[in-house]
Amino acid sequence: MGKTVLICDDALFMRTMLGNILKQAGFEVIGEAENGVEAVDRYRELKPDLVTMDIVMPDKGGIDAVREIVQEHPGARILMCSAMGQQGLVVEAIQAGAKDFVVKPFQPSRVLEAVQRVLG
Amino acid sequence: MDTGRYIELFLSESREHLRALSRSLLGIEQGGGDEPVEEAFRAAHTLKGMAAAMGYSAVAHEAHALEDRLESIRSGALAVDADLIDELLAASDRLHAALETSAFPPPEPDPAAEEGREPPAAEAVASPAVPAPEEDLAALLDGVDVGILETDAAPAARVLIDMAAPLKAARATIICRAVAKVSPIVSCDPAAFDDAFDGDFRLVFPPGADIDLLDAAIREGGEVKAVSWETARRAAPRRGGSRGVPAPAVGRRVRVDQEHLDSIAEAVGELGILRAELAALAEADTQVERVSSEMGRVLDDLEYAILGVRMIPVRDVFERFPRVVRDAARSTGKDVRLVLEGTEITLDRSILEDIGDPLLHLLRNAVDHGIEPAAERRAAGKPPRGTLLLRAARERAAVVIDVEDDGRGISRADVLARARREGLVDGVDELRDDELLRLLSRPGFTTAPSVSSMSGRGVGLDVAVSRVRGLGGSISLTTAPGRGTRFQMRLPLSLALAPALRVQVGGEDYVIPLNHVEEVVELNGAVSRQRGREVLNLRGDVVPLVRLGEALSCAGRGAETAAVIAGSGAARGALAVERLIGREQMVVKRFDGPAGTLPCFAGVTLLGDGRPALVLDPMSVL
Repeated sequence: MGKTVLICDDALFMRTMLGNILKQAGFEVIGEAENGVEAVDRYRELKPDLVTMDIVMPDKGGIDAVREIVQEHPGARILMCSAMGQQGLVVEAIQAGAKDFVVKPFQPSRVLEAVQRVLG
Repeated sequence: MDTGRYIELFLSESREHLRALSRSLLGIEQGGGDEPVEEAFRAAHTLKGMAAAMGYSAVAHEAHALEDRLESIRSGALAVDADLIDELLAASDRLHAALETSAFPPPEPDPAAEEGREPPAAEAVASPAVPAPEEDLAALLDGVDVGILETDAAPAARVLIDMAAPLKAARATIICRAVAKVSPIVSCDPAAFDDAFDGDFRLVFPPGADIDLLDAAIREGGEVKAVSWETARRAAPRRGGSRGVPAPAVGRRVRVDQEHLDSIAEAVGELGILRAELAALAEADTQVERVSSEMGRVLDDLEYAILGVRMIPVRDVFERFPRVVRDAARSTGKDVRLVLEGTEITLDRSILEDIGDPLLHLLRNAVDHGIEPAAERRAAGKPPRGTLLLRAARERAAVVIDVEDDGRGISRADVLARARREGLVDGVDELRDDELLRLLSRPGFTTAPSVSSMSGRGVGLDVAVSRVRGLGGSISLTTAPGRGTRFQMRLPLSLALAPALRVQVGGEDYVIPLNHVEEVVELNGAVSRQRGREVLNLRGDVVPLVRLGEALSCAGRGAETAAVIAGSGAARGALAVERLIGREQMVVKRFDGPAGTLPCFAGVTLLGDGRPALVLDPMSVL
């Protein structure tokens, strides 16, 4: 049984791409969220093994979502997805409790390495 | 002490301190407050200590004199003005010269030269007469930590993050958090990670900390290239002082001959070609297929790593410009502020080296001709201080560098008048920006009433433009009267490997570098004629259409099915091709075509199946 993943990104395209990378590596994508509010709700509901979190999303951004999820579930394993040039935000997310990050555009091998570190 | 083996180390670190010195002196002039004074003082102080440790007394004395002047600024005894900064910059130049002379002495040692050394400008020597070497070194070193006092065995780790890793500051933060779970961190150098952080940092732990556990924790943070352990030494902070000075450390980089990198990159490119052949052979055999696709993955990583090795931040070249702009502004009596943006953006080393001179030319030109004297600016309702912006940014598979001033703009009327006199234009009333650039970049074309000593020398705009094009880049100009001028360079990320589009024209395959390609569209009914030229209607925009087959005189039988939209702004156009084949990583080999070769070929590359193909430069076709 593969590990379960919740993918949070406001762009369907990014969710699909990331989902494919993870599915091919044997993960089971059990949920998706388009904003931070949904991300927190779906985490509560699904308790996935891994969350991928975009930083900039409408309603509630990824960093706030990380903060809330980690507060409720200190063991949550969250991987940030960032664009180049968002270093300050990534650092903030890590301080908020995210475990690692990947930078867009996604390279499958890098994504999987980061996932290994988060789950490891 | 056998100092020979430390020379490399000494030089590379000293040069960093000299750069910090120059940067902070300019910062003092800009009214940066106490911080740049402190930084300059630290740099001079550290240089003094290092030079003394190497026995370079001439350097130590220059540094000492400079330190004294800075001390006077620090205490408020000396007021800062442009003349003082001139003097200090001159002193820092002398220091630099003394340093290079000491480290590379002339073959015939000449003690007379050392003794008869011109003393620094009388003003600059605040205190001591030049003491004899040796015994007075100790006096000079009073209060200088030379970094040989060892304390208890506090383990320290020097951590190097993989050069190819993105967001190194974020990575370092993760590593520190992982480590903090194992042991408290006594100190971290640098103390904070910012965008300038280069992936090299040092952590000190309490005596007795478990090195094995810590080592594992550091590596667990990911993307760690190397960890080396040492016993912490007290004092002589490695980086010329305390927190926040992003001066890179000793030995951070390995010097590699550019040629080696080029040949590795080429070999990888050729491996890619072999692997494509293998993939074609593997179609019938699942075993071979598996190996071939695994090999492809490794190759991708390898290509990426090689790109990373060749990439250096534009900061390495931008760094010398503040001084250049300051000197140019001073000599023309103007007040100019240079703003640097995007200095962390990386670019292929050889490209970066090649655009240094063109950038220098554009910056000097902007100071000389673009930015107005303060009085003229005031009269025009602008702030008296002109702003010059040098900005790098990533855009798709390209790096864009802007040189932008808020000066008077280029006078189209003057350029037009001059061009008419020279018979270069006929019947044109208004020059577009691209025509303006074409005229201005003609060798010898100038409208400046007098060529100044600064921008009259060195490379001209013509050389700058052709240099950028030679790198596979493009340059554009935007100017507005009274508002300013912007030159924009668009450069490929790398010379060795570049993503490219493979197309078919007249039955032959050609490749077009992707950094020029905006999009690809199907050619349907959207083509029409305007003023005798074919144009393509692109969602309401009209762009000129060039049928590549005709342009290359190799029109095939097949009709064009697609168009590649290339270029930007006024230079945008559509290239009609018979067929789009797909995206490739190309390894470009430059070539000197035989006489008569069309100038639109930028080089030659090998296709996935091993056949050669010509690389098209869409800009020159358009």
